[in-house]
Amino acid sequence: MHDRLDISMRANHVFFGILVIVALVFAAFACFSGDVFYLRLATEALILGGLALSIDILLGFTGLLSLGQALYFGIGAYVSALVLREEPSFWLAMGAAGVSVLLAGIAGGLIANRVRGVYFALITFGMAQVVAKVVYNSRELGASDGLIGIPVIEIPLGLITLSADDPLGFFLLTLVIIALLYSMSAYLLGTPFGRIIIALKANEKRVPYLGYSTWAARMAAYVLAAVIAGLAGALYPMLRGFVSPELLFFATSGDALIMVIVGGAGTLAGAIWGAVILTMLKSVIGSWTEHHLIVIGLIFMSAILFMPKGIVGMLKPFVERNLLRNSARQPKPEPERTAL
Amino acid sequence: MRLNLLTTTTIAMLLASSAYAQETIKIGVLTPLSGTYAGIGQQVRWGIDQSVEEINAAGGIAGRQIELIYEDSEANPAVAVTKAEKLFTVDNVDFLTGTVNSGATLAVGQVADRADKLIATTVSFSDAITGSGCSPNVFRVNARAGQQSVALAAWLKQEKPGAKVYYLGPDYEMGRSTVAAFKERAESVGAKSTGEVFAPLDSKDYSQYFGQLRAARPDVLYTSVAGNDTVRLFTQMNDFGVSEGLTILGASGTVTAQNINAIGAAAEGFITGVGYSVLIDSPENKAFTEAFRERNGADPDLYGADSYGLLFAYKAAVEAAGATDTDSVRAALEGLSWETPQGTKTIRAGDHQAMQPMYVVEVKNGQFTIARSIAGEDAIGPDTCDKF
Amino acid sequence: MPDLISYLQFVLAPQMLNGLALGVSVILVALGLTIIFGLLDVINMSHGEFYAVGAFGALALSALGFNYWVLIALVPILMIPIGVLTERFLIRRVYDGGDRHVSTLLLTFGLGMIAEDLLKIVFGPNTHRPENPLPGAMEVLGVFIPTYRLFLIAIGAVVIVAVALVVYRTRLGAMVRAAAFDRNMAASLGVRVGWVYSGAFAFGVALAGLAGVLLAPIYSVFPTMGHDFILMAFTVVIVGGMGSIWGAVIAGVLLTQVQAISSLVISPVWADPIVFGVMVLVLMFRPQGIFGRIGHA
Repeated sequence: MHDRLDISMRANHVFFGILVIVALVFAAFACFSGDVFYLRLATEALILGGLALSIDILLGFTGLLSLGQALYFGIGAYVSALVLREEPSFWLAMGAAGVSVLLAGIAGGLIANRVRGVYFALITFGMAQVVAKVVYNSRELGASDGLIGIPVIEIPLGLITLSADDPLGFFLLTLVIIALLYSMSAYLLGTPFGRIIIALKANEKRVPYLGYSTWAARMAAYVLAAVIAGLAGALYPMLRGFVSPELLFFATSGDALIMVIVGGAGTLAGAIWGAVILTMLKSVIGSWTEHHLIVIGLIFMSAILFMPKGIVGMLKPFVERNLLRNSARQPKPEPERTAL
Repeated sequence: MRLNLLTTTTIAMLLASSAYAQETIKIGVLTPLSGTYAGIGQQVRWGIDQSVEEINAAGGIAGRQIELIYEDSEANPAVAVTKAEKLFTVDNVDFLTGTVNSGATLAVGQVADRADKLIATTVSFSDAITGSGCSPNVFRVNARAGQQSVALAAWLKQEKPGAKVYYLGPDYEMGRSTVAAFKERAESVGAKSTGEVFAPLDSKDYSQYFGQLRAARPDVLYTSVAGNDTVRLFTQMNDFGVSEGLTILGASGTVTAQNINAIGAAAEGFITGVGYSVLIDSPENKAFTEAFRERNGADPDLYGADSYGLLFAYKAAVEAAGATDTDSVRAALEGLSWETPQGTKTIRAGDHQAMQPMYVVEVKNGQFTIARSIAGEDAIGPDTCDKF
Repeated sequence: MPDLISYLQFVLAPQMLNGLALGVSVILVALGLTIIFGLLDVINMSHGEFYAVGAFGALALSALGFNYWVLIALVPILMIPIGVLTERFLIRRVYDGGDRHVSTLLLTFGLGMIAEDLLKIVFGPNTHRPENPLPGAMEVLGVFIPTYRLFLIAIGAVVIVAVALVVYRTRLGAMVRAAAFDRNMAASLGVRVGWVYSGAFAFGVALAGLAGVLLAPIYSVFPTMGHDFILMAFTVVIVGGMGSIWGAVIAGVLLTQVQAISSLVISPVWADPIVFGVMVLVLMFRPQGIFGRIGHA
């Protein structure tokens, strides 16, 4: 089926594909120059891209602004850290993180999905603040100092074994994981169920008239977003060796939101591009001036005022036109004419 | 051809060695320049800048000038770790300092371990940093919580034996552990504890705790709030008349140059155990304070003073070791003694904690007057680090 | 029996009275927010920063020699043009896009970031505090309370009543409510909708600035102070009903009393979660708040 939504998704894939290519080229360069820092920074950018992806699923496709996605990112990170401290197993950590955010997402979704719009935003904000405070004050979770001493783990992948300490290896692994999360989201949003979710953004009141439950669709979208954020978060302690309550604070959610807007809401790929761009910018700006809040704030405001579709959003029409042209060239089967 | 090659090589080697003599020593300063702790970061910066200016003017470290590279840690350990890695692997700093909150120091310490570089903190006073969480690559030149409470408890024993003490602290790790540490020491010198309450960080209104406070009828209040929280607590206590007849003791970070003006008259009579006061009567301190005032238009506080003293220790260590590599400098720093505006500090080899004379300081007329001083060996407490 | 009376007099009553003083402060901040939300349908995430600007403005002007009592009137007046400019040049641009709530929220979020850093650049990161113009304390019905807090309660009540009168009893207020209810209809009836919107926004931020001036002597002034009230203010606005003045007042008093009294029996750290819990419950069972929207009140 080559309808508009399908073309739109394929355009997203094009942009994501470009990102992957750029990432591989970058990895090759970094490998030759023996770099460590930029590879790790890029890995962190991808991990945050996972969080941004989860925000985009809610904001760009379901029409829900979540101001507290860092909650699931943080839960994923903490669970992963706690598991790794006991048992340095990659798969166990990822699995445990996935299950915990699944449960947390269901709980959070039950609370938040009764309302919409700004109320939804404020409830998600409040949930993140409350849990962040609890973590901040819990001795068992390291309290305000967080947990350090996450060991460097070996990641068995069947044929090869990677060390989390290997910048290039872990970068490529993160790239693969983010690509999997992206593909999973794109696939799910392309299914009929995914289209119900998209319909929610277009006109939520009409959806029940078509026979579908809005509540079920929203819960599904919310839990999906939570799981993606949590799985991305689980990678964080493997990269940096520690977790701290700041991962749950609004600053993290806010940064990820900026990434989505700058990259382009509703494009999936835009979220990840936004993460890469913002991380790069922050690194450069931070070394240049200490007034980075003003610079980031200005960029963000300019994006909203002058480029509300984001970078990928702005470039998408060109790609879509090309895709349409290509699909028009293919011979379409003659539509059956039936007498009315 | 071969002769040319020989000549070129010789010239290259000569150039390289002369370039080495000019090569700067890079020191990374990772400190909060924005956010809640920006005030502390400012003092750290002022102190370090002043020391570097003096050291460079006197010829640098073993003839090499110091180059400072600043990064904003935003008091967020996640940001600090990323920037620490940048400083170590991209900027190739030889040494790193400036971290303020304990979480950041511990996390950056771990990065330093993995990068095989040394760091020192001049602000963090959580005991864990040179105690249970100690690391061979982490040093601390400021007084830790334990040293502060020993000094204060000694004062309490002498001035108000058997006093009834009430505790009020901010509800987070640092706030609670500081109160717990002092409580233990106070009880060991005979004080009686009549209750405690922990207010959320950044509380606006402390009046809700005054009822319990009054009901306990203490002689002494000990508090570990800091920054804006102190301003609010003290001025509100003053407004409500709670501070009448009450002696107020606190942690060393409770009243500093950052908030003493805002607190105003309500700070009068506040007593704390701290490693520095502007009024320390020594020629080093007078010179330091005068230059600091002239450069920055403000008084130094413990953060500024400790940060100022750090690089002199580093200089002494590098010159004694004759090299800047991690193992040599570490060995030279362990056991090193050097002169600072606070007197002679010595870095204990067992846990990398600096030993220094501690002062009991009382705020009179907006000045930190010295009530008594305690020798370094008495204040430092046991070495609980067992990692190296 | 005497124990109960003693408890009431020395513990509960002071706690409630102080809760009232805090409540008045929260209401002043929330009033501006509810007006902006109720009238313009704009979510102002930078409201806390306008509160901070008011406080810093008071600081700066008092250094120039202005008397504190003058500042209470002067600072809000000076903030009106700032509000008008913000609305005209920033808010209005994203006003007509789809999803106004999201875009204004994000835009003002960015604005707040910039404002906070600017304040830090201009005034430095340290804490300041203007002198309390009414030091000392008084005894009211056996309860000991600082004079300045009584003044705060009094002037807060005056401001709240004045705002309510303006909105509900004047022609200006009627125009504003009409424009909020149905913009096009109001325009076709001759209401100058553009000016009404700018004016309403400016009025809202002026109220925030006034709160900043009034609270500076007891809560002190520093660049990140905007974060102090914002969550509480949003909660009050939501529980009271967006756009409803009386809703904000009642919710403000209610929530701060809940906070004050609950801190007597449980650890104060749970005060915020309890308030948040109240907000969630209200949203789950009566999303329009106690009193609903201003246009429909």
